[in-house]
Amino acid sequence: MVKVITKDVTKIFKSKKKEVVALDKINMEINSGESFGILGPSGAGKTTLMRIIAGLDVPTAGELYFNDELVAASNRLIVPPEDRNIGMVFQTWALYPNMTAYDNIAFPLKSLKISKAEEQKKINDIAEILGISHVLNHYPRELSGGQQQRVALARALVKNPSILLLDEPFSNLDARIRDSARALVRRIQNELKITTITVSHDPADIFSIAERAGVIVHGKLVQVDKPSIIYSKPITVEVAKLIGDLVELNGRIEDRNGATYAVVDDFSFPINKINASNVRLGIRLEDLKISKESSLGSDWFLVGRARVKVSSYSSGLFRVTVVPPSNDNTEVVVMMDKPFDVGEEVNLFIRLGKVLVFT
Amino acid sequence: MSKAKTKRISPAVKAAIHQLVIIIFVVIWLVPIYAMVINGLKSDVAVYTTPVLVPSSSPTLEPFQAVWSSLSRPLLNSLIIVLPVAFIATFLGSMAAYFFYMLSNSFSKVSSFISNFLFSLISLATFIPYQATLIPLTKLIADMGLLNTYWGLAFAFFIFYMPTGALLMSIFITAIPPRIIEAARLDKGSDWRIFIKLVFPLSLPGFVSTLIFNIIETWNNFFIPLMLTTTPNMRLIPVTVQSFTGGYATLYNETFAAAFIASIVPLGIFIFLGRYFIKGLIALGTGGKGV
Repeated sequence: MVKVITKDVTKIFKSKKKEVVALDKINMEINSGESFGILGPSGAGKTTLMRIIAGLDVPTAGELYFNDELVAASNRLIVPPEDRNIGMVFQTWALYPNMTAYDNIAFPLKSLKISKAEEQKKINDIAEILGISHVLNHYPRELSGGQQQRVALARALVKNPSILLLDEPFSNLDARIRDSARALVRRIQNELKITTITVSHDPADIFSIAERAGVIVHGKLVQVDKPSIIYSKPITVEVAKLIGDLVELNGRIEDRNGATYAVVDDFSFPINKINASNVRLGIRLEDLKISKESSLGSDWFLVGRARVKVSSYSSGLFRVTVVPPSNDNTEVVVMMDKPFDVGEEVNLFIRLGKVLVFT
Repeated sequence: MSKAKTKRISPAVKAAIHQLVIIIFVVIWLVPIYAMVINGLKSDVAVYTTPVLVPSSSPTLEPFQAVWSSLSRPLLNSLIIVLPVAFIATFLGSMAAYFFYMLSNSFSKVSSFISNFLFSLISLATFIPYQATLIPLTKLIADMGLLNTYWGLAFAFFIFYMPTGALLMSIFITAIPPRIIEAARLDKGSDWRIFIKLVFPLSLPGFVSTLIFNIIETWNNFFIPLMLTTTPNMRLIPVTVQSFTGGYATLYNETFAAAFIASIVPLGIFIFLGRYFIKGLIALGTGGKGV
C-alpha cells in the first residue's frame, strides 16, 4: 500500500495574457490505506491535484512522493501514469464506448500477462461484488448511469491498484442511488484497504467515504481534519459553508453583565469573550429551533422574538424562515418537524455553545 | 394574428422549396455522369448528330467494347496500386496523427515543440502543389531504378498521400474525448494497444472518410503516373483515358465510354462507403474541438 505525500505542490496555468494559480503550495500526507476526501468548490483546483497524483498532469513546482519515491517534481514526470498503479474513476467515467462492460474491465488486465481463466475469474469476482454480472455483455451506451459507474469502478479496482482516485464519482448519478453507491465504495475501500482519494464538492460524499478530508479553496489547502471536526470547527466561513448548510449573520459585539453577546437586530447570541467589535456568525440549521414556549430546557438559549416569513418543506422537515420583528431582511432558516403559519410570532432558540464565530 | 399568418410560409411550401433546391443541385452534379453514360452508348455517327444531353435513339455498347481492351490493363494497374497504397497511407497517417496527439499532450516543452514543428512540415507537404516537386521526385525514382515499376508509383503516391492522411486524421482524433485515452494510459495500455483498440475504432468514420479521399485523389492523379511510367503496360487509368483525346480527331463516344469506365471505381466506393464519409464529417462537426 502507498502513502501519498505532496510537498509545496503548485500548479500555474499560463495562457497568453494571465497566469492562473490552480494550486498554491499544497502540503499534505495521505496515509497508506486511508480514505481521504478533498472538498472544495468548483474551480478550486481539486481535480488538478488529483490529475497530478495520477500523473496526467505535472506540478509547476513542488514534489509528489509515493512512500519515499519521488514520482513528480517541478514540470517533470518521474514516474509515468502507467507505472503508478492507479485506479481512477473519472467524473464522466470515461468507459471505452466501443467495448462491452466485460472488455472494459478486462482492458487493464491485458498488460498483466495472466491466463485467460485467471482473467475471467478476476472479472467475474469483481462484477459479483459490484452487482454487474448480468450486464457484462452490454456496451456502455446500453447501461444506466449507476451501472456505468460500477463498471468504471470495477475497471479501476480489477488491477489491484495501490491508489484509488475518485473524481466526483457520484455527481452524475441519480440522487436516490447515490447513497447506495457511496456505501458500496466505502465497503470495498474498507475491505481492500486501498489508499483512496475522493474529490468532491458535495459534503455528503466526504462524510460518507472519507476518514479524513482536506478543504481546498482558491488553490490553497486551508484545513485538514476529520469531516466531523471540519463540520463543527471550520476555520473560515467558506469552509463552514462547503461542508454543510449554514445560517450566516453579521453581529455586533456587546458586553452585558460580564457576558459577551453578538447582537443581530433583535437577536442576541451568547458567545465567548472576543476582541472585536463586529463578527461574522455561522449557525448550523440543526442548532436552531423555534417555539411558542419561552423555555426549551438548559441546552437551549432564547435568542429573541421572531416572526415567521416563509414556511416550506425539504426532505422530511419543514424549512421555516424567520426574521426579527425590526428587520425583514435578516433571515434565519430553521428546520422544524411541523409547519408554522406565516406571520406567526415565535421564540428563536440556539443550542448553547454552537455559534461559529469568524472575525 | 391574421397578419402573422399571412406572412408565414406554410411548412409544406417550405419543404417543397428545400426539395426543389436540392433537386437542382443534384441535377447539376449528375449532368457529367449522365453525359458520360449516354454519349458512351452512342454510335460513331450518332455522337456527332445528336446533342450532348440527348440520348441516342439506338443505343449501342460498341464504344465500351472498343475501349475495354485498351483499358483493362490500366484498370488493373490502378487497382493494384491505388487500393493498397491509399489504405496503407491512411493507416500510417492515422498512426502519425495519434503520435502527434500524444506529443502535443505531453508536458515536456521540447516534445510539444517537436510536435508542432513536424506537424507544420506535414501540412506543408500536403499543401505544396505536388506538380512543383515532380521533377526532383522523378529523378529520385529514376535513381532508385524504380521508373516504370509498381513500387516506384506506389512510393511516389505514398509520399504525397501519407501526410494528407496524417493531417486529416489528426482532426478526427482530437474529437475523441481525451479522458478515454487518459483512462487507457492509467490502465497500462501501450501506445500500440491504445491506438489499435481505442483510437482506431473510435475514429473509424474519420478513417473511412480519409481513405475515400485518398483513394479518389490517388485514382484521379494524372501527373505522377504520367511522369513515372512510359511503357504502355505500366500505364494507369487517367493517363490512358487522356490518350483517347487525340491530336487531330477525337472519337467522343469512345472517350466518354473510357471516362465512364475510369470513374466506376471511385463512384462505386463513394456509393458504398459514402455514409461513412458523411458520418466522419458529422463527427468533425460535433466534436472537432476536442471535448
